[in-house]
Amino acid sequence: MESALENVRAGTHMPIRQLFDVLFKSVTVIERILSDIKLKSSDESYVSLVGKASHALATVASRLPEAPKPELKPDVFEKLASEASTPARADSDLPSFQVDDEPEPSAAAAPVKEELIHKSIETSHPQASVGTQPSVVSPATSPSAVKDREAEGATSIRVPVNLLDNLMTLMGEMVLVRNQVLQYSNKSEDLEFLNMSKRLNVVTSEIQGEMMKTRMQPIGNVLSKFNRVVRDLSNDLGKTIHLNLSGSETELDKSLLESVKDPLTHIVRNSCDHGIETPDVRTQAGKPAAGTIDIKAYHEGGQVVIDITDDGKGLNKEILIKKAIEKGILQQSEAGSLSDKEAFNLIFAPGFSTAAKVTNVSGRGVGMDVVRTNIERIGGTVDLSSVTGKGTTIKIKIPLTLAIVPALIVKNRGEIFAIPQVKLEELLRVESSSAEDKIEILHGTPVYRLRGKILPLVDLNQVLKMSSEATNYRDRVTNIAVLTAEHCSFGLIIDEVQDTADIVVKPLNRLLKSLQVYSGATILGDGSVALILDVLGISKVAEVKYDKIQEANKAGEEVKKMSEIQDFLLVQLNSPTKHCFALGYVNRLEEFKRKDIEFSGRQRVVRYREMILPIISANEVLGYGASEKKGDTIPVVVILRGGTLYGIEVDSIIDTLSTTVDAEPSMVRHPGLFGSLNTKDELIVIADPFELIALAFPDLVQHTSKVPKKNLIGETAPCRILLVEDTVFFRRAIAATLEKSGHKVSMANDGQEAMEILNGSPEKFDLIVSDIEMPRMNGFQLARNVRKHSSYAKTPMLAISSRADKNYTEEGIKSGFNLYLEKLKAEDLLHAVRALTQQEEAA
Amino acid sequence: MSKMVTELITTFQIGSDLFGIEVMNVQEVAKQSQIVPVPLAPGFVRGLVNLRGQIATAVGLREMFNHHSDSKDSEEMSVICKLDGNLVSLIVDSIGDVVEMEQSKFEPPPHTLPSDIRKYIKGIYKAEGSFLSILDLDRISRELSPATETSSRINS
Repeated sequence: MESALENVRAGTHMPIRQLFDVLFKSVTVIERILSDIKLKSSDESYVSLVGKASHALATVASRLPEAPKPELKPDVFEKLASEASTPARADSDLPSFQVDDEPEPSAAAAPVKEELIHKSIETSHPQASVGTQPSVVSPATSPSAVKDREAEGATSIRVPVNLLDNLMTLMGEMVLVRNQVLQYSNKSEDLEFLNMSKRLNVVTSEIQGEMMKTRMQPIGNVLSKFNRVVRDLSNDLGKTIHLNLSGSETELDKSLLESVKDPLTHIVRNSCDHGIETPDVRTQAGKPAAGTIDIKAYHEGGQVVIDITDDGKGLNKEILIKKAIEKGILQQSEAGSLSDKEAFNLIFAPGFSTAAKVTNVSGRGVGMDVVRTNIERIGGTVDLSSVTGKGTTIKIKIPLTLAIVPALIVKNRGEIFAIPQVKLEELLRVESSSAEDKIEILHGTPVYRLRGKILPLVDLNQVLKMSSEATNYRDRVTNIAVLTAEHCSFGLIIDEVQDTADIVVKPLNRLLKSLQVYSGATILGDGSVALILDVLGISKVAEVKYDKIQEANKAGEEVKKMSEIQDFLLVQLNSPTKHCFALGYVNRLEEFKRKDIEFSGRQRVVRYREMILPIISANEVLGYGASEKKGDTIPVVVILRGGTLYGIEVDSIIDTLSTTVDAEPSMVRHPGLFGSLNTKDELIVIADPFELIALAFPDLVQHTSKVPKKNLIGETAPCRILLVEDTVFFRRAIAATLEKSGHKVSMANDGQEAMEILNGSPEKFDLIVSDIEMPRMNGFQLARNVRKHSSYAKTPMLAISSRADKNYTEEGIKSGFNLYLEKLKAEDLLHAVRALTQQEEAA
Repeated sequence: MSKMVTELITTFQIGSDLFGIEVMNVQEVAKQSQIVPVPLAPGFVRGLVNLRGQIATAVGLREMFNHHSDSKDSEEMSVICKLDGNLVSLIVDSIGDVVEMEQSKFEPPPHTLPSDIRKYIKGIYKAEGSFLSILDLDRISRELSPATETSSRINS
């Protein structure tokens, strides 16, 4: 009845909206009465339900005459009834359909319909309504309809779905056997056998094709329901929306059809609610008052594609981004660099809803992420494109069937795996010989530059823990399968690509499913078993942090200083956190035998290169307590400070760390510690070896200048400082310290660059802070040059150096430095800066 | 003679211990075919086998029970059962006879058995000179279908 009404509507295109509204409502009420009659046999509840229904119908009936063109009514009923009586008639016949074609049934059926409404009104009497029941269903069971159904029954039978499922499984087996026979026949010389196997091949393929068809259903079964959905929604929302369906005859596996139903409904509802604007907004925007939603289904490349296009307002990038930041899905810093597509894809993030207010239609928190999950569960993809103000298109691609999938067969460490082709974008073969075409290592993970974009790589061997040793990608040819997971692509490094094949997916038990990396197993042509890789699962297990890598990539391109790699020496102390020293401090690494350690007074020393090396324990100085670990040898980091070597004993030396992560000076000063490194995986404490030494030998004479301890009143005026330093770590650490106290810092790598900046800069610097030992032009030369130059000769200069012995200090002052400090004591540095700049101001 | 309630048991050996499964629960007994290992899977999952077009999970009972006796040199056998709709191939050292046991001789396993083995055993039959331990297939099945919260443990 409902579909008949829809067809009439499509056929007449008459704007008799209210009439149809009433009809739809009455249909709903009748449906309810019917189901109630079926469910309830008890008289009491029945009476109340019928009472309710009859009341609803009475109001409906009372409104019927108010329909704008009541005179149309009988006509419509005739068409309706005759259409209902000829269900076998194709839709295309409908517009030209004439009542006189089959006058008798239409005449018979029309009164039935009218009678139906009258009878329904009478249903306030329970007895009468029981009597009405047969006539309620009468339009469907009118004599000619029964005849048609009988005719149809002769050519089709009902089959339980699980019987089809079983047949499908057996079909899969047959395909496998066929494959085995084919492989075997290739080895055979027997011509007759060869012919037979060829024949078997053809027949099996045919059966397979036909078998697939049994489960196929036209997608129109689902799409046609949207006519009603859109209609109801547009009424509720006060919008006018036309729904155009095309490709309804496109066929899809029944189970898939069921699974796309809900996502599709959601998308259509979304389009109605968020997409299409209200008529007045539309007219203002110069669009027709009625919105249009097109749903188009078609085959493409072995997949079914469903396009849902609306001509509404489209997605607004700014609003999306704002919303995403509000919901904590996106970081403010990431927002600026998002492409349109990335921004639109935000709506697929969990917990995202752009509806300004929550309506009963949408905006209830569960949204597009569920759509995406559901589609991806059946191996499909969702793609979205939108033009702000013009509309939105959502493209859903789903496989034809789930039972047999084309897959790429790969071999890893002698084992065979299958990767579904749907997830495969391309295959790469990287040869290490070419310079620009190679696998690089970023933060310890391999990446590959694919057409200028960084593609994170995942080594299958490592995800599956098939080999423990780190693979060397440099000296070999690497095969990479570029795969798509939820939000990103990644490259899977595999040993060997073998073949493509149609495989029959067999489920795994839950234990193996829970490993996440396998979606099933299959039996290959030779009878061997292969695991099917779950691409999404692998990306989860390997934790492809696409965003992170992209972030690092962008940061690297934007700011040069961000990509500068700093080196640290990682050591283990008697503390849960790892510690490190800036590698610039470290003179040597030594391992001394415990028995070689002697005592000079209470100081532990060791004879080292014909001198005495005092050994201090980092644990002791930092107050961590002596370590439990006692070996025969002690690892020692040798530091040169003020011309003397010192040994710092640590528990163990772990590794060096190259990182682009910025060192952060610690908020709370702890003697001996500089700050921390917040790396991807952990927090590492940066120890200051000079301070450690200073703490261990408090009486040590310092050869550095004494910062004038004047009473400096008030805040330091912000000044322009030129920082000259070659070591990345120090340059960034010093700059950070200075910038934190409000100064503006320009940086130079060495004296030469500093001079260039001084000469080129229109502004005067208030202070030059310089290292001593630098390539090209050292600090002394720089100081002399600065002092010679007229325009900035009077700029105060501060030397900071790790070479802080007497000779150096004197030489520094002689060359023109105002103050000579030992490296990296933040307070001293700031104090000195303040002293020097205020001196300047006073002068 | 009073009517005895008896049960038919398929017996097999792991090391020198005798185990059994009710005949009704056994689909077939087969020679061990080629196993495809599953990386990342827990140790007792030896891998997957192709059982005439069906895929069965091969479970090494020796590993599952933490049975430390020396493995035999002879070829291993597999007892194939259907647990929870999944085919499972239990790998054992050797297959024994099918024996008929009186249900009255069935006893719960003593508490002193190592827990690794005891949790998979439903009970013990006393046969002449030896004990026959009956496997709790439901328990093994549960081991193969962990709830989601235990999956992380297996992964780690």
